[in-house]
Amino acid sequence: MSHWKENQKASFYEATARQRAFSLVDEGTFHELVGPETRMTSPHLPVLGEAVSFDDGVVTGVGSIRRRPVFVISQEGRFIGGAVGEVGGAKIVGVFDLALQLYDRINKKHPGVENRLPAIVFSFETGGVRLHEANAGLLAHAEVMEKIQQCRGKIPVITLVGSKVGCFGGMGFVSVACDLVIMSELGRIGLTGPEVIEEVMGKREFDASDRALIYRTTGGKHKYILRDSAYLVRDTIGSFRQQLVEVLCMPYDKIVLCRSIGSMELVEEQLKVVATAVENKPRDSKDVWRYYGNEEWDRIPDMEYDEFMEKAVVRPRERRNWKWWQKR
Amino acid sequence: MALQQLLFTFNSPENPATLPEDWTHSGVVGSGDMEVLLSRKELGGKVEAKVVTPVNGFDDIWEKVLQRFVDEAGLGNLSIEINDNNATPYIVMTRLRQALLEAKEGGEE
Repeated sequence: MSHWKENQKASFYEATARQRAFSLVDEGTFHELVGPETRMTSPHLPVLGEAVSFDDGVVTGVGSIRRRPVFVISQEGRFIGGAVGEVGGAKIVGVFDLALQLYDRINKKHPGVENRLPAIVFSFETGGVRLHEANAGLLAHAEVMEKIQQCRGKIPVITLVGSKVGCFGGMGFVSVACDLVIMSELGRIGLTGPEVIEEVMGKREFDASDRALIYRTTGGKHKYILRDSAYLVRDTIGSFRQQLVEVLCMPYDKIVLCRSIGSMELVEEQLKVVATAVENKPRDSKDVWRYYGNEEWDRIPDMEYDEFMEKAVVRPRERRNWKWWQKR
Repeated sequence: MALQQLLFTFNSPENPATLPEDWTHSGVVGSGDMEVLLSRKELGGKVEAKVVTPVNGFDDIWEKVLQRFVDEAGLGNLSIEINDNNATPYIVMTRLRQALLEAKEGGEE
């Protein structure tokens, strides 16, 4: 049996970046770009005595899903916590550039054939900027943000979060700036990581050793109820892939409805969520779940996937006019 | 403080085979782990190894482990490149064997 088939049943949480990248697209279609054989290691780490990696912690490549070209970016959390440095950042930005170039070419040749246009899938596993090369890392974040904006109206950018390190720091911003987020229960998205909050604000504010608290505040179930994540899937590479295939078969206009930033309407919607929080003063995520109408709010962390999906009541979304997108 | 680079050259065993693929990569540079890139290289039958590691003072052990792998693998004209992050000799040997196995299977991860 091929590795691809075995990988579909493997845990997404534990999988390496390369395993994920290779197995998310259709079998045998993945082609790695700037792979380990190019030996593109970080120029900054050797002087600091830090270990280097041939792929600088990011696997980039292209494959296809149902004959649609899909560019893949997959971060490796085991290498310096998946933090973004100069080389890794440039690889990510390069993938966006390639996707945009391909979009223009295909669109010119076959205008209006949406299901053959490229898509980008970004599997996050990172703590944000790599502090050893902080300026380059920050710049990479800014560049990726800009690329996401350039993809608007053209290329769907799909976020996947379900890996061990989660998605924190600057990349927390980047992940939710994409068009659509798919998470597993074990995925975590946040800005300031739990340890940092505890360090700065104290244990009474946030106890970073309290795993349940971390998952309640940043985990997949919470993000799904808040609608920060459009889909919640089981923890296998196959489940992520299946959801990804389904999303990529949707029309672009439907995918972008899952965006959480990018227009005045969305900003207003986010502000309303903040206003609701200020008004209700939740002490814990459980209060939020209860507010949105989850009757068994206290049991949510213990629910199995099926039960949760059946019972979860998610934040109602404002009806909004998305014709604005089509004009672009 | 700076990252160390160790270079070794080994004589290959008699009638050495060549790596079934141009190159093969295995492993992740996690803490206590390493990655290895095996590639074909014209070296007059010899085997060349380059180890990049943050650890000092274990050159002899690296040489012994690599020598053992070279004897076991029976390959010549081979370049072994390792990015290490404090892997123990046991892990090093396991990763090297894994890389070779993957090259023989011809499968990606």
